Amino acid sequence: MDRLMQIVALIETSISCAVMVVWLIEKIFQVSVPLSARPILLILFGNLFFWPLGLFMELPIAAYVRGVTGDLSIVSMLLLWSTLLPSNKPNPIAFKVAVAIVALSFYPLALGLGMFDPYALGYGSIGFLIGVLAFAVICGLANWNQGVWIIAIAIIAWTFHWHESANLWDYLLDPFLGIWAIGAIVNSFRLKRRERAQSGYLFRAG
Amino acid sequence: MSRVIAFCFLLLAAVLGFLYIDSRPAWTPFTVATVAVDEEEQAQSSPVKKSSLINKLTIAHPQSDWLPDTGAASVHAASLISLKDGAIRAFWFAGSREGASDVVINSAVYDSKSGTWSAPTVVMDRLTAEKGLSRYIAKLGNPVPSRSADGRLQLFFVTVSIGGWAGSSISTISSDDDGTTWDRPHRLITSPLINLSTLVKSPAIQFADSRLGLPAYHEWIGRFGEFLRIEANQVIDKRRMSSGRSAIQPIVFTDGADRAAAYFRQARSGSAPKQIPVSETHNAGQTWQTIGDLEIANPNSAIAALTLSNGMRLLVLNNLEAGRHRLVLLMADPSDKAKQWQVVQVLEDDEALSDEQRREFSYPYLITGDGSDAHLVYTWDRKKIRHMHFGSAWLAQLQWQLKDQKKEGEQ
Repeated sequence: MDRLMQIVALIETSISCAVMVVWLIEKIFQVSVPLSARPILLILFGNLFFWPLGLFMELPIAAYVRGVTGDLSIVSMLLLWSTLLPSNKPNPIAFKVAVAIVALSFYPLALGLGMFDPYALGYGSIGFLIGVLAFAVICGLANWNQGVWIIAIAIIAWTFHWHESANLWDYLLDPFLGIWAIGAIVNSFRLKRRERAQSGYLFRAG
Repeated sequence: MSRVIAFCFLLLAAVLGFLYIDSRPAWTPFTVATVAVDEEEQAQSSPVKKSSLINKLTIAHPQSDWLPDTGAASVHAASLISLKDGAIRAFWFAGSREGASDVVINSAVYDSKSGTWSAPTVVMDRLTAEKGLSRYIAKLGNPVPSRSADGRLQLFFVTVSIGGWAGSSISTISSDDDGTTWDRPHRLITSPLINLSTLVKSPAIQFADSRLGLPAYHEWIGRFGEFLRIEANQVIDKRRMSSGRSAIQPIVFTDGADRAAAYFRQARSGSAPKQIPVSETHNAGQTWQTIGDLEIANPNSAIAALTLSNGMRLLVLNNLEAGRHRLVLLMADPSDKAKQWQVVQVLEDDEALSDEQRREFSYPYLITGDGSDAHLVYTWDRKKIRHMHFGSAWLAQLQWQLKDQKKEGEQ
């Protein structure tokens, strides 16, 4: 069972790495990879990361990535993977703001600031689970069903001990998600300022 | 419609979540060791009997030897555990230097009857660890053995994938045959930040439900102690023992089913007191409060602790504010409510040597073989691991001397 868990974790890391490579290709070369080509690239790069290549490496590339990044949270992973779906829409800014606020308050406390450790709540606090469910309900009421699905899958993965961690936090949040949320908020402000500046130029009184 | 389906799925997740939480084990008290009052102990109460007993005893001084040489240039972080047949198994890491990729975790068995060590074996190396854990591992360190509820030997050890020791995580392996063979390693997830920076140094204690309480610590952004509740190969809960950047490597003395005290290696900067920080719990480790310092000097070095079956407590540490060139044994009488620690034996002392000539005596680790004796291992100048055995008669003699001193002080 544990061996299977390790293989699944490596498969997840390989897929996540492949998605990142496709995303980087699009960003660097300023191209949009056709929908039909995405699965092919995903399979190609996924296999490249998953299988041991030999040479000077003792392990598959995904194992080296996993050594540094650990396992991504289910929320991060599904958000990342969903970027390749044809129906993918941008995530609501309110969700990013919420993630950024949670991350900015959670990590300092979890890493030793004071005697209260919010991370400990993730081992089996009913209050914390209710809080997470309430957050998912708000996502649904705000018409972001994808968020409901992702959080529900994360909770179910935790109950089935899908990853090595027994802590619900590790299925919901990771530092990369926090950094992504903060980066997306900053980028959003930057774009809005640029839009305002451009509209001011176009409609400036003669 | 899609929203309704999503909410139905969330409801399913909620039900599973609540069922999962309901199935989680409740926090239980510590296992309380019964204090054995043996004949020698009873003899103490009568001065006549005591003196005659001392005369009868041929008190052996502590025996000292070395853990087997593996040929490695650098050795460190030795630990011990009693085996089912009464022997003692030692673990330590060895390699070309601390943190090198060739570092392996070695083990050897001490036969108490013959007083000899077996040939060393390799319990874990970097390649075995990374294949078992399915991730890159750069180096290994700090092996800490424990006895799990089902009688298996469990070894916790530190692995680092990137950076220095601050990037550590804890992994564990188990053995059905007291350390001859081991299963594949498992990773403990203890930190939300890429599982970075949790280390282990001190022995675990047992809860009444046979689960383990493993004192661990962070050593990166914060330097603080954590109490991990372990079930088999996973952390099922954890509690903070201290906060900030000043206390690592906790060791725990239990004072009953719910009470315990944790002594730390101080890691303070600047002119802050170089003494042993202490935390205590009154609810079996669910919450801890820092209660100030034990007034014993500590130069940011590990300490070892042990409670014997008669309640006598031992500490081994460097009682210096700087340097690790002196190692002492301290004792506290269980009947002394103030638990005053007294240095009863200087084990190593290079005080008379110049700074360049002084050697490092560090990372002590204490266990008892039969409840009344004590085995100590510690790093000797980073080149060897020294083993000392303190016999029960010798420790009892020290205990009597301690009581006599206390009585004289009171008079």
